Amino acid sequence: MLIELLTKRYPGMRAWLTQRLSGLVMAIYCVIALIRFLVLQPNYYEAWVDFFQPWWWRLASLLFWMSLLIHAWLGMRDVFKDYVPNPNIRGVLVKLLVVVLWLYLAWATWLLLG
Amino acid sequence: MKFSIYRFNPDVDQKPYMQDYDVVLEDSDQMLLDALLRIKDLDDSLSLRKSCREGVCGSDSMNINGKNGLACITKLSDLEEPVVLRPMPGLPVIRDLVVDMTQFFENYNSVKPYLVNNDPPPETERLQSPEDRAKLDGLYECILCGACTTSCPSFWWNPDKFVGPAGLMQAYRFMVDSRDQDIDERLENLEAPDRLYRCHNIMNCVEVCPKKLNPSAAIAKIKDLKFEQAREHKSQAKKQIAIKSV
Repeated sequence: MLIELLTKRYPGMRAWLTQRLSGLVMAIYCVIALIRFLVLQPNYYEAWVDFFQPWWWRLASLLFWMSLLIHAWLGMRDVFKDYVPNPNIRGVLVKLLVVVLWLYLAWATWLLLG
Repeated sequence: MKFSIYRFNPDVDQKPYMQDYDVVLEDSDQMLLDALLRIKDLDDSLSLRKSCREGVCGSDSMNINGKNGLACITKLSDLEEPVVLRPMPGLPVIRDLVVDMTQFFENYNSVKPYLVNNDPPPETERLQSPEDRAKLDGLYECILCGACTTSCPSFWWNPDKFVGPAGLMQAYRFMVDSRDQDIDERLENLEAPDRLYRCHNIMNCVEVCPKKLNPSAAIAKIKDLKFEQAREHKSQAKKQIAIKSV
């Protein structure tokens, strides 16, 4: 059912639900990250490297980043819709945002999997 | 009592201004509307709407000390001086405290605020069980004063797209009416990205509603109905696939 609500048949629900699901992913990641942080207590550089060493944690971190960027895309798109009435300026800002978010994703992927 | 009131007459004024009034009230002047009528006795150029004087018609909604409300049921003793009165935000001002509510009612009309039932009319009336009737409580009482919708930033920025809390609450009121047969159409009607989903649950609507209604909860329940609709579509699709395979 969730998959159906994420299809083009439900354009409004799709964006709304995507934002909630991405938020949920980030919340779960933050809880696990906090637990790992408290358990491992990485307080020097090598410990931080070890913290991000497990492949599953790097994948989870990438999932977190993807969720964050999707969440930011939907949120910022709404902000631009609300506060930038000029369609030309809004178009430029939206394109700029897309470029920035893709750059962030590439950077995060390189850091985590590169 | 001191008042500062938004004034604008488009025939005369270049731009709006705030006018100060200091009026002596009578003991019988208990509500803000009483004071406004007292001011109007002194200055009959002041324009405002009013009708029932008891919070039923919704005519005298305005922005009172920064918060939307009805002048006729706002106690003077609850107000800080000077009482700052402005027209409801987000709608064009016709004159002084009178706003053009065309957009508000267009949005309201867009949700088809009436029963749709294609069955032949019964001899007497379409009956409801007490349980079904109870589902309308907290919804049908809306007086369409516009206080909630004009408190909503999503309406300010997208008045022609976002239906607004009053219209959405009425949409839900007919969705849950057991006599209505148009729920699928009603949900489809709100599916465009900006009609329903611009609500970000900041709950200004709940805070200002003079009838103590909860449009925000109604909006959340419309989203629940959307889930129900998707679930039904999926089970129907499964049934059709099963029939085809047989």
